[in-house]
Amino acid sequence: MTCYFYLRQNKLKSLHALLNYLQPWRRNSTSRRWYSPPAETPASEPEPRTSAASPRRRSRRSASPTLASPSCRSTSGSAAASTSFSAPQFAGNTIGIGSSFEDEPPLLEELGINTRQIWSKTVSIINPFRVNPDLHEDADLSGPFLFLLSFGLFQLLAGKLHFGIILGWVTMAALFLYVVFNMLAGRNGNLDLYRCVSLIGYCMLPMVILSAIALFLPQGGVGILVIAGVFVIWSTRVCTRLLVELASCGDEHRGLIAYACFLIYTLFSLLVIF
Amino acid sequence: MYDSLGAQPGLPRPPPNPQPNPFGNAFVGAGSGLIRGGLGAYGEKILGSSSEYVQSNISRYFSDPQYYFQVNDHYVRNKLKVVLFPFLHRGHWSRITEPVGGRLSYKPPIYDINAPDLYIPLMAFGTYVVLAGISLGLHGKFSPEALNWLFFKGLVGWFLQVSLLKMTLFSLGSGEAPLLDIVAYAGYTFTGMCIAVLGKITWNYSYYFLMPWTCLCMGVFLVKTMKRVLFVEVRSYDSSRHHYLLLFIALAQFPLFLWLCNITVNWLF
Repeated sequence: MTCYFYLRQNKLKSLHALLNYLQPWRRNSTSRRWYSPPAETPASEPEPRTSAASPRRRSRRSASPTLASPSCRSTSGSAAASTSFSAPQFAGNTIGIGSSFEDEPPLLEELGINTRQIWSKTVSIINPFRVNPDLHEDADLSGPFLFLLSFGLFQLLAGKLHFGIILGWVTMAALFLYVVFNMLAGRNGNLDLYRCVSLIGYCMLPMVILSAIALFLPQGGVGILVIAGVFVIWSTRVCTRLLVELASCGDEHRGLIAYACFLIYTLFSLLVIF
Repeated sequence: MYDSLGAQPGLPRPPPNPQPNPFGNAFVGAGSGLIRGGLGAYGEKILGSSSEYVQSNISRYFSDPQYYFQVNDHYVRNKLKVVLFPFLHRGHWSRITEPVGGRLSYKPPIYDINAPDLYIPLMAFGTYVVLAGISLGLHGKFSPEALNWLFFKGLVGWFLQVSLLKMTLFSLGSGEAPLLDIVAYAGYTFTGMCIAVLGKITWNYSYYFLMPWTCLCMGVFLVKTMKRVLFVEVRSYDSSRHHYLLLFIALAQFPLFLWLCNITVNWLF
């Protein structure tokens, strides 16, 4: 109850604390400390229970239970916030499970989602004429997941429920490109399926933009066909250059790989156009 | 670079920089060892026999798919010309052999225009699916499920063509040709089908001219290929039976083309 009171009073500071928790690069050493409630705590009620509360509080902190309302936790010794927080008792759990709550890595870092890297990779795809393959050295699937989700959402806005289709087609296309690329490259081919899916997903960005544009153009018109053609060529160009520069394939197979990528992105553009 | 490719097929090579990702361990060893290693591993699980027996069996049936992907731009362009206009091909139709390790083996497709490859059939199949999707869309009948059905219909057509060629070989008493060779030859028909469907998209009446034309070209290509390359391996020589079978192959292209080039939503016709 006191927690809720503190939250309502200090919304911005608690939001700041939450953001610090989720995004590690915002942190510096000064803001790492959790927000501690102000000194005007009603210290009257927990006084008789302090001695019983402290071992419970210590074990609770070391066991790191739920993640709700982190601003209620405090490193300062104020008993009011922690005893009013009705967490389940960890009886007999004097040894802490793992590290303490403050030493846990942030959530996005644990999940492997680096939003800054995703943003920089996205921006690098937008320029079709200058491709920066160093950014795509380490592959990740969270950017492609975001792109495919937004592609599905734009299709949903157009009235087509294509989420399952997109998932299935991306899987089949990645397998197809994986087989073709590694077979063409011979013994030097070191494209693995994870990187293949990551590259196909990132180069899906022009398709996402196409599906957004297609909401405003008449269906079946010439305009959408021309724009789709341009965007497919954009996708193909970026995908081919990334593939050739990242996985050590021969440069002599560039046209052959480009045609395979072209087929894949034409297939996805069909979902948008028709 | 191409000389070393034929030296030791089938050895999986670990990638130089293994990435710490959950899929990395499963897909290590890209290249020619992938299929053999993968199939060998699964075969051992399924059959429960020793790995060498299964691998030797698989290599007998599958014959190193790496060979069929040694292509380059020049080969692809010339092979497309041979497949689509077979009567313009002035040279011979037999494959060039070279002695490798005491046995005669065929040269890879880069050096030999008559060697089969798997790149063109795969790409032609993909182009056929995409063009069929465009054709469906232009008639207002596009849906992704229809495209999935067309994909499977194309696969069935490919399988029918493979079984046609295989049955012809069996009826002559020899099934010794490697399976991937026959899969490659059967897949070349998709190039003709792509031309026919493209004609149907651009101008409706051109389809009635292009379809029999490409059908005829594909028939001629298959006949010449089967005659020169595959029937060499047949032991008994029975001239009239050969010619009837070749004629049957050429005539059987017509219903196949009619079935596959008629892009509709339902399965049969």
